[in-house]
Amino acid sequence: MNNIKVVGVGGLAASNQADDIIKTFALGSCVAVIMLHPGARAVGMVHIALPDSAVARGNIGDRPGYFADTGIPALLKQMAALNWGVNDNRGMIVKLVGGAKVMDPNNVFTIGKRNILAVKKVLWSLGMGPRAEDVGGAISRTVTVPVATGQVHISSPGKEDWRI
Amino acid sequence: MTDKIDRNEILAAVRGVPLISTSAARLLELANRDDHNLLDIVNIVRCDAALTARILTAVNSATLRRGKEISSIDRAVAVMGEEMVTGFAMSDAAGLLFQSDLEGYAANRGDLWRHDLRTAIAAKKIAAHARSEVNAELAFTGGLLHDLGKAIISDFLKGRISGIVNNIETGKYPDYPSAEREELGVDHCDIGLELATYWGLPEPLRQVIRYHHHPLEAAPRFRPLVFVVHLGDIVAMMSGSGTGADAMRCNIAPAYTDYITLDKDDLARIIFAVETEFNTITSSLSDKGEGST
Repeated sequence: MNNIKVVGVGGLAASNQADDIIKTFALGSCVAVIMLHPGARAVGMVHIALPDSAVARGNIGDRPGYFADTGIPALLKQMAALNWGVNDNRGMIVKLVGGAKVMDPNNVFTIGKRNILAVKKVLWSLGMGPRAEDVGGAISRTVTVPVATGQVHISSPGKEDWRI
Repeated sequence: MTDKIDRNEILAAVRGVPLISTSAARLLELANRDDHNLLDIVNIVRCDAALTARILTAVNSATLRRGKEISSIDRAVAVMGEEMVTGFAMSDAAGLLFQSDLEGYAANRGDLWRHDLRTAIAAKKIAAHARSEVNAELAFTGGLLHDLGKAIISDFLKGRISGIVNNIETGKYPDYPSAEREELGVDHCDIGLELATYWGLPEPLRQVIRYHHHPLEAAPRFRPLVFVVHLGDIVAMMSGSGTGADAMRCNIAPAYTDYITLDKDDLARIIFAVETEFNTITSSLSDKGEGST
């Protein structure tokens, strides 16, 4: 029996249990950062809504995953607790999904694009980078990752499912 | 273009919707007036036993309860605020519509309610950034009701989703509302207006429902309000509260800058604040098994 761990907006989850499935629904301009650690057979996901936690003025509460600058370190910390050495990111595979665009010539509602850039900047600062990504476009995405396979499945209403 | 549906068939579906309650109609009318106060709202609520019970239950839920139990409706209304009271009244009145599974949009039961609630909260917050004064309660209510036309036309869109999505992705249709018009001859805004008229909703709400995807076409005096809800709708979709296949497939009206002053940081603060308030409201409902979220 599979156990589905749903990651809400600003939430995160990590698991090395083969029966677990990590899932997040309806990414709009939000970005799901998925981390796969083949050695530990662990999978993690964070659902990032905004690029920078400065707007929360220190009040991010129990949702560090809401922002790129706090969400990625929080996910790494949670994954590090799963069986392998703290801060051992060697071999970690990162994939990105989401960051849909709003065509705004005023450049205010272009949060999807800014989320993708902010996520990559944080990853680069940690010596990491995405192996694969399915980002941008005018589309809502749901992401499902079975821990057993580490495959990243994407679905969107009205379209055939696909994988990265 | 595919087989059009007879418009009269869709209008017949509108007339099959139950009328809203007297208290909901009076609260909506009140939201349309600037010269009202909390006592006016209390006086409407106390005449509706079911609404009174729902508000007292919610205000004493684990999420909203602060300190002692509240047993007086006056105090409960003051704690909840006008927009939430109106929200409760409308969710009673239009509960079946809000809970439509929107099969024609490949959405899930509850998605429409979540989308409308998030739009309402966002619109209320965006109202504070309007260049001319916009009634925040009216913006909230407009957000709550703007997409109810989808609950009616969803049935007529069944089986057309893949074709619509493909036609949008290949550029044949510019956005989802245009696709609805091409496929059915009407869109959810047209049908929403029919429903609003059938319910006797005030003019500003009718304008919001009809023009929330094309706010420049609204009557000039209602444009600031309609733009506020238009942007609230976009914020809700960006934040993951869409209604299935049309999510992120609607265009922003770039002229919003003539009516609303927002920069990137304002928008980020609004999105974060909306998330917090949305979670508080939905938790207060689920505490008592309301099931609408």
